[in-house]
Amino acid sequence: MHRLFAQQIAKATDEGGSVDLQKLSSLIVSAYEEFDRDRRRTDRSMSLMIEELDAVQRNLEQTVIERTKALAAREAELQAQNLRIDAALSNMSQGLAMYDGDARLVICNQRFIAMYRYIPTDIHPGLPLRDLIRLRAENGTFSGNPDQYAENLRAKIQIGQATSQFVELPDGRTVAIARQPLPDGGWVATHEDVTERRQAEMKIAHMARHDALTDLPNRVLLRERLSEALVQVERGNQLAVLYLDLDLFKNVNDSLGHPTGDELLRLVAHRLRGCVKETDTISRVGGDEFFIIQTGVGNASDAERLARRIAEAIRAPYDLHGHHVVIEASIGIALAPADGNDANELLKNADMALYGAKADGRGAYRFFEADMDARMKERRALEVALRKAFENGEFELYYQPVLNLDRDEVRGCEALLRWHHPERGMVSPVEFIPVAEEIGLIVALGEWVIRKACQDAAQWPNDICVAVNLSPTQLASKGLLPAVLHALASSRLPPHRLELEITEAVLMQNSEATLHTLHQLRALGIRISMDDFGTGYSSLSYLRSFPFDKIKIDRCFIKGLGDGSESDAIVHAVAGLAERLGMTTTAEGVETKAQLDVVRNLGCTDVQGFYYSPPVPAGELAEILADKTGRKTAAA
Amino acid sequence: MRVQQIIWTKRLGWTPGGGALSAESLVLYFGSRDALACGARYEELRRMFPTAHILGCSTGGQINNDDVGDDEVVAAAVGFDATRLRLSRQEIADPQRSRDCGAALGRALLADDLAGVFVLSDGLNVNGSELVAGVSEAIGPGIPLTGGLAGDGANFKETLVGADCAPRARIVAAIGFYGPAIRVGHGSAGGWDLFGPRRSVTKARGNVLFELDGEPALDLYERYLGPDESKDLPGSALLFPIQVYDLEKPDTAVVRTVLAVDREARSMTFAGDIPQGWTAQLMRGNLDRLAAGAADAARQARDTLGAHNGDPRISILVSCIGRRLLMGQRALDEVEAAGAELGPETLRLGFYSYGEISPHATSGLCELHNQTMTVTTLAEVA
Repeated sequence: MHRLFAQQIAKATDEGGSVDLQKLSSLIVSAYEEFDRDRRRTDRSMSLMIEELDAVQRNLEQTVIERTKALAAREAELQAQNLRIDAALSNMSQGLAMYDGDARLVICNQRFIAMYRYIPTDIHPGLPLRDLIRLRAENGTFSGNPDQYAENLRAKIQIGQATSQFVELPDGRTVAIARQPLPDGGWVATHEDVTERRQAEMKIAHMARHDALTDLPNRVLLRERLSEALVQVERGNQLAVLYLDLDLFKNVNDSLGHPTGDELLRLVAHRLRGCVKETDTISRVGGDEFFIIQTGVGNASDAERLARRIAEAIRAPYDLHGHHVVIEASIGIALAPADGNDANELLKNADMALYGAKADGRGAYRFFEADMDARMKERRALEVALRKAFENGEFELYYQPVLNLDRDEVRGCEALLRWHHPERGMVSPVEFIPVAEEIGLIVALGEWVIRKACQDAAQWPNDICVAVNLSPTQLASKGLLPAVLHALASSRLPPHRLELEITEAVLMQNSEATLHTLHQLRALGIRISMDDFGTGYSSLSYLRSFPFDKIKIDRCFIKGLGDGSESDAIVHAVAGLAERLGMTTTAEGVETKAQLDVVRNLGCTDVQGFYYSPPVPAGELAEILADKTGRKTAAA
Repeated sequence: MRVQQIIWTKRLGWTPGGGALSAESLVLYFGSRDALACGARYEELRRMFPTAHILGCSTGGQINNDDVGDDEVVAAAVGFDATRLRLSRQEIADPQRSRDCGAALGRALLADDLAGVFVLSDGLNVNGSELVAGVSEAIGPGIPLTGGLAGDGANFKETLVGADCAPRARIVAAIGFYGPAIRVGHGSAGGWDLFGPRRSVTKARGNVLFELDGEPALDLYERYLGPDESKDLPGSALLFPIQVYDLEKPDTAVVRTVLAVDREARSMTFAGDIPQGWTAQLMRGNLDRLAAGAADAARQARDTLGAHNGDPRISILVSCIGRRLLMGQRALDEVEAAGAELGPETLRLGFYSYGEISPHATSGLCELHNQTMTVTTLAEVA
């Protein structure tokens, strides 16, 4: 029996056990109705649910269609965006590479591939950094351990800090790499080839501390090196500072031009390099001035040896574009710690020592001495006095007769400059001429001498010449020719009565300009003679370079006559040579009858010296000229 | 513990007659609104059990062991040997005050040795979720809280609760059980099947639902019920309970049942909250699975009781009116299925309600349920 029916019967049965049929049938009918309702409800809800689910499905399908369209549009947009990014990346001047959190390549540009000489097909997204570095190790753009490099790099990135570094590639290029961490643990790196920029920077840094002409350290680097070296001095070592300049360098510049002067400086720098140790410093601080820091100095003689070595190296002749040039250097030396242990003090004292060396004459070296300061003051006083002397007319010309041996007659007189110092009395030309030369007074003084000599000579008999010495500086000066013309014109002295004497030093700077000037002077009828012949270098070659009218044989040869030296032979040879070249010869410094006889026999045409007459003031000359024998009598 | 069952019928009155049980005793009774409204039943019980706490309510049908009926009043008198009782009662003027009302009840009952609380509440003028939350907060976790909302057949007009007084509307009452001897078992289960698409709660306020997927909720229900059954709203809406849950926390799922409809506003009022933004899905019942649900609830109650078999015990079955409307005469099936689990020695009585109160089967938090069978089992141990 169905459980429900059993329940219904139970409900319809009373306490007495009789079944109330009406109640039972109403229960049964009601149950049927309940089932009907439930069935209809179920049907209804099922069909509604199907409708609803169908609608939901249609909605979903529609949504899928719309989303698919949107995705396609988004994809197209992304593709366009990618193209734009590609274009931007491809046109970057820097190499760019982006990595993910696992240190794998996400993207890179062509510049990156080219920079590290990758084969494009080797490079693809997902490639581990380690492999990228290995490829570089294979193609020679990386040296080191690729795995270690990649690991170190990852460790740095994991700290999360942006980094930048300069990397030197094995092929000499320099690459600046900047890395910026990304939120996902990866990073983006830009690579820029900064080789040229770095080289330029290094060049600028080099230029700031070096002399452009000689590439020697300049004053900036000199001071640095000196400070460093002085630290060693504090530890008990010694050093020397040598200050050097080239004597009469200005003349080279003036006569041969600046390019030649520059070439000379380069050669001097080269020779200096050959003189010093690796640890020493040579610096050009301007013009023709050089400093040398000599380290590892045991005593003063070490510095002296270096100074000699330098002087000797500088003195050797130079061939400058066909010009034969000889120049000498003056050197001042200061020692540390003896002469100071401070850079400024040492440089100043070396300067003082150089000044001292200059005062001693050219081609000399001097150590700093404590009293140099005082002597320098003295020298300054001399300079001041010299300028005043010119203004005050303290100069005077003396004349020394030159005798012709054929006729035993005075043929001319050499003008010699004298300075009557109001306090010091007569000052020697040897003392004041170099000073006049250095302070630039020599040209004006030389012009005064020519003018005065011409005026004086114009008063003499017509057959008496006057000889005037020209300094190299004077000869290099453009004002010489006009000054000579003016002197001749104002004195009305015929040009053939003027004789200009030059020394070998002039011809050592054998410039076209000098020779041109000499030829112009000679063309005027002025006679040109070579003075102090035999004291310089390769004298004979100079005789070929210019048609001198006269050679004056230096007094040192005359002094040596008859003492068994080779002086006799030299004098004889020179006299013979001169004769064949059509020149006259004057023997200088003839003081005795014996010397006179010898030079006459050796073939000299003229003599000059105390045997006949010392230099005399212009006023006393008339008497000698009247005598014509050139002999200054005891009474005179 | 001594337990005595009493039945009132029109014909016979109360049988058997009452008698003294013990110092601490409780009489529970359930009947239709018509049977209880006059107050005579309470007066009769009071005369029979002058010292007992008398607690009862109107229903949507009474459960008496394996029987389900509408006409009789079912009652049980329980005498306790080692358990103290305390009854608390509140009037609720405004459903908005439900949480406060619950809290007041809970505070009145709170004591160190409180071991369980059973609540009977007005079924229409209260937000059941809020009420339960109020009580729970006051008594704290770990104390079983069970009970139900009074019913009014399929009428939804007025519900009555009596607590040491004649039953009347807008009463919320609770009885607390104290001491180490009392054991409280509880279980709750539905057995409903989800069906149809999942819907979004697009407009709702508290326990009032306005729209699902942007469509008035009432339209959806009327469509599913069809024209005939739509006339019986809100009662017929119980045929399609609704499960709501937070999509991100699926174990928050609760079943809600309809208390009222507003045909103007096209809205529906539920016995508990319908949070806006949650997901909702309609449910329908299959007779066999609903009965299996009732058996499940009974099994839980038996298993959580913690007393020895053979101890005298009473089970209070509170099942949803929606289940009875759907099952009709077959409601007997679920009562029988529950009885089979609880065993013949357990006195069973109960009622069809407008809402059930029981700890959640998985979370253990006390909640208001709908469309479930909930079972509370009481026993005392020596």
